[in-house]
Amino acid sequence: MRDALFGTALARLCCGVLLFAGASALLGPLVSPWAFDAVDWDAIDAPPSWTHWFGTDGSGRDLLARTLFGTGVSLFIAFSATAVSCLIGIPFGLVAGYLGGRADLVMMRVVDGLYALPFVLLVILLVALFGRNIHLLFLTLGAVYWLDIARIVRGQTLVVRGEAFVDAARALGATPLRIGLRHIAPNVLGPAAVYITIAVPGVIIAESFISFLGLGVQEPRTSLGMLIADGAREMRSSPWQLAFPACWLAAILCAFTILGDRLRDAVDVVGGRRRSHDERRTAPFNRAPLPLPPVRGAR
Amino acid sequence: MARYLLRRIAFSLVTLWAVVTVAFFLVRAAPGGPFDGERRLPPSVEANLRAAYHLDDPLPRQYGRYLAMLVGGDLGPSFRSKDFSVNELIGRGLPVSLVLGGLAFLLALAAGVGAGTWAACAKDRPRDRLVTIWATLGLALPPIIVAPALVLLFAVGLGWLPAGGHQGARHFVLPVVALALPHAAAFARLARGAVIEVLARPHVLTARAKGLPGRRIVVRHVLPSALLPVVSFAGPAAAALLAGSMVIEQVFSLPGLGRHFVQGALNRDYTLVTGAVIVYAALVLGLNLLADICLVRLDRRASHA
Amino acid sequence: MPAFAFAAELRIGNGGEPLTLDPHRYNLNLEEKILGDLFEGLTAHDARGRIVPGAAESWTTSADGLTWTFALREDGRWADGAPVTAEDFVFSFRRLLDPRTAASLAYFLYAIDGAEEVNNGAAPLERLGVTAPDALTLRVRLREPFPFLAERLIYPTGFPVPKHVVAKLGDDWVKPGNMVTNGAYTLADWQPQAFVRAIRNPHFRAAESVRVDTVTYFSTDDRNAAYNRYLAGELDVIGDFPLGELARVRREAPAHLHVAPLLSMMYLVFNTAEAPFADARVRRALALALDRRRITEQVLRGGEVASASFVPPMVAGYDSAVAQSAADPPAARALLREAGYHAGNPLAVTLRHIAGADNKKAQVAIAAMWNAIGVRTELHHAELNAHFAALRQGDFQVAQAGWFGENNPEHYLELLMSTAGDVNYGRFADPEVDALMQEAKRTADVAERVALLRRAEAVALATHPVVPLYSVTVRSLVHPRVAGWHANARNTHPARYLWLRSEKAKGTRP
Repeated sequence: MRDALFGTALARLCCGVLLFAGASALLGPLVSPWAFDAVDWDAIDAPPSWTHWFGTDGSGRDLLARTLFGTGVSLFIAFSATAVSCLIGIPFGLVAGYLGGRADLVMMRVVDGLYALPFVLLVILLVALFGRNIHLLFLTLGAVYWLDIARIVRGQTLVVRGEAFVDAARALGATPLRIGLRHIAPNVLGPAAVYITIAVPGVIIAESFISFLGLGVQEPRTSLGMLIADGAREMRSSPWQLAFPACWLAAILCAFTILGDRLRDAVDVVGGRRRSHDERRTAPFNRAPLPLPPVRGAR
Repeated sequence: MARYLLRRIAFSLVTLWAVVTVAFFLVRAAPGGPFDGERRLPPSVEANLRAAYHLDDPLPRQYGRYLAMLVGGDLGPSFRSKDFSVNELIGRGLPVSLVLGGLAFLLALAAGVGAGTWAACAKDRPRDRLVTIWATLGLALPPIIVAPALVLLFAVGLGWLPAGGHQGARHFVLPVVALALPHAAAFARLARGAVIEVLARPHVLTARAKGLPGRRIVVRHVLPSALLPVVSFAGPAAAALLAGSMVIEQVFSLPGLGRHFVQGALNRDYTLVTGAVIVYAALVLGLNLLADICLVRLDRRASHA
Repeated sequence: MPAFAFAAELRIGNGGEPLTLDPHRYNLNLEEKILGDLFEGLTAHDARGRIVPGAAESWTTSADGLTWTFALREDGRWADGAPVTAEDFVFSFRRLLDPRTAASLAYFLYAIDGAEEVNNGAAPLERLGVTAPDALTLRVRLREPFPFLAERLIYPTGFPVPKHVVAKLGDDWVKPGNMVTNGAYTLADWQPQAFVRAIRNPHFRAAESVRVDTVTYFSTDDRNAAYNRYLAGELDVIGDFPLGELARVRREAPAHLHVAPLLSMMYLVFNTAEAPFADARVRRALALALDRRRITEQVLRGGEVASASFVPPMVAGYDSAVAQSAADPPAARALLREAGYHAGNPLAVTLRHIAGADNKKAQVAIAAMWNAIGVRTELHHAELNAHFAALRQGDFQVAQAGWFGENNPEHYLELLMSTAGDVNYGRFADPEVDALMQEAKRTADVAERVALLRRAEAVALATHPVVPLYSVTVRSLVHPRVAGWHANARNTHPARYLWLRSEKAKGTRP
């Protein structure tokens, strides 16, 4: 697994990009000479220069500082939403997969039912109805994305549950809780990690979509999605306002996607997969050679 | 199969009812109302409006009235578009969304599966790398970047295609491409992975040992099994595409369903929002059902192959 | 559908989707533009936005200013050939004020005797002071003198609807195919979220002077999309385009550009009912910290007209007593200190504004100026309707607001009366201002009336309940093949005065 992740130059590059993005979002504001909300009256709509490396926006604010700040906000929303979805989805999937039978059927029917909800609209509706609030944003997105992780974990649990070592533990008198925590949960971590590499970029794109509709975070705060949405409107007159945040976003998303692929290959090898009919029905979710959520998310 | 189908349809109806209920109460729980404007209406006028739309009844009664209307196929009057009913608005928006989404789906499916299979047959060779790079970038470039860029290049710069509107076939080219791109990338990744896996299976190796031509192996022995994950992804993907992409509709000024979603929610047009949610949910449910039926069929074929 | 098959089609990017084409139920400026081509009220706009006789040929006012008598044109016709009569107007005014119509802008005509009572359901429709002594004479009685009535009647609220059609079809009269109008155009088609199409009305009284056969108003709610469509040659007129493109358009396609200040006032309003802005010193400090010219000339750069007066500078015949003053941050700081705010106890405020790119730029600049004098400013934006709903409920500290409209000072200054109701968002109440305003409203003589208004404004603005900022400009792009276009402060361009030059004259696009 470690080899697959860090073995190739490309994978290392991707890790580098993500580390750099995270570190610069955290540390950048400390070292940047410009605050993300400071107005430079002498440089409104200014192209890149030595004073403003990325140029400035229509209000004269430094784009580098704003891009770093926006990266932080986007990553924060993405990771919080993913964490929320894991908190809901992993226990749900574990319980459904472990119990099996009727309970599983009912629980999965609930998931199927929720899939039919127009989530894009739900998120837009909630934000449009109840105001722009960063916490609301990631809570809603998290509440949307837990379905995928629940399916993944449940599929994996079904597989692991049938393994000899679980039977052995059961024969030795282990409680279901202990079996769940000690034997099944560790085996579910791999797919969950894969899921995270899929969900995080998905949430970032969903957030950009919401920003484009004018429902993003409040000014003067910003996010990558909002910078791009604003930049896209000025792409003819001030191309730098789109180019820098867009390249930055694309690099982060590519890095996540490539790492996700590697990670999945690694997990697949470790998992030694066996497929039941049930599992095949949810095939793209637990073997997913693709990030499903970003696509279902928001286009 | 028939019993399975019936059960699924019954389940879909229950889900639809749940969706209706959630949407109905959610929009009404939000602050603000459909008659907010720059100026407050005189109390008597507002009272008149509320009475005309039965908003002065207790909620359960409104809900009952709404369900009764729904059963009769009536989505009610629009609160803000005073001259149209929700049926009329959705009736005009939905075909645009269906054409846009349907074409984008076909394009994404054809281009994605084609490219994915083509790449898989030459794993790790240059064309495989090319497709992989394209598929990765396609997912990393959100439509809010791609769509305006396409307009700038092909409509404003080169003048080959119209920049907006829906008057003819040419008007749909750019929006369909912009909408299909990320889904094509997803299909390509999915197909590539699946084909590579199936190519390594024993029955394919046998067929190859028997000396069957490569193209025939792919079409007869590989694709039926490899399409399984593609099809189960196709359901939700088609629903997402068909229900209209708000960004694409906004950039290309297309009068589709997505615009009604956003406008309705922002303006607290209760009936329009609820109506749009219902149509979307019905689409998703229907398409998922369709995908599942295809899946069961394919599954059988795959196990025979 | 071959949209470009119309020989003489004028394609207008109208900025958004009309919510109704019923003139009495209308609410939006973009609906006003379509309705102005479909209907003709007693008075109308000419090509330059001046007020001229419309369905009425002439009118007289009684000496006390309370009775207006309109003489209708003999050749006024509905699109189905029926004559436009005074009875149609009586029916229409009653319909507007009938509580069952639920017209949200019915208050536009509250100046008419009995209008408010009728609209509130307190009096029968017959109580309304509008009568028809004969088929071509209309008499309107006012409850107090209102010299600006001719101007007030140009809004769709004052438009006639065909009694014989509405009586038969009810609310369905407004649908394409049913609607009968008396203006230069009639409704041909309406595709929601796409376009409204109007064609020449052959029965219009001046039909022979109308030169454009078809006018299509596209629902362009995204101005970038509209701009792209204009550049691609799909629209002939757009009323707005991205600010960042202004310099390029000026340079490369000046023949397309029409910039005109609009009769409008953008301002900030303080919630004077609550701390911290109940304290006039704090309001004055924040007003002093603002540099209007910096906002209009450095940030917006669209030709907006900075104004210290609450009445737009282009309102005719009004010379504000409020002087333009320069920003004075040190004085602002001193005032804040006096009011008890300093580095140890900084003032923290939330500035509410309407969502949108230009609004955002202006508010970010304002916030930066306040931050510079030590005021911690948070921004909060919302969609137009939600924004004003919050303002009306007093749910704000300081907020952006705007008032568009008329060529008379009263229209703006009314907002500062304690009796103005919820459009006096900040709940400003000053007995002296109220007294002056009320006296003005009772005065029939225009010069005297304006003098009183001028005093009222000076008294009110001395305590800064609002900070006037600027009048917005309209930046239109009009293809040179469209002739007869005159930029004006009303931003009104009736299609009957426009015509299309032959295709050969087609200029290059920016």
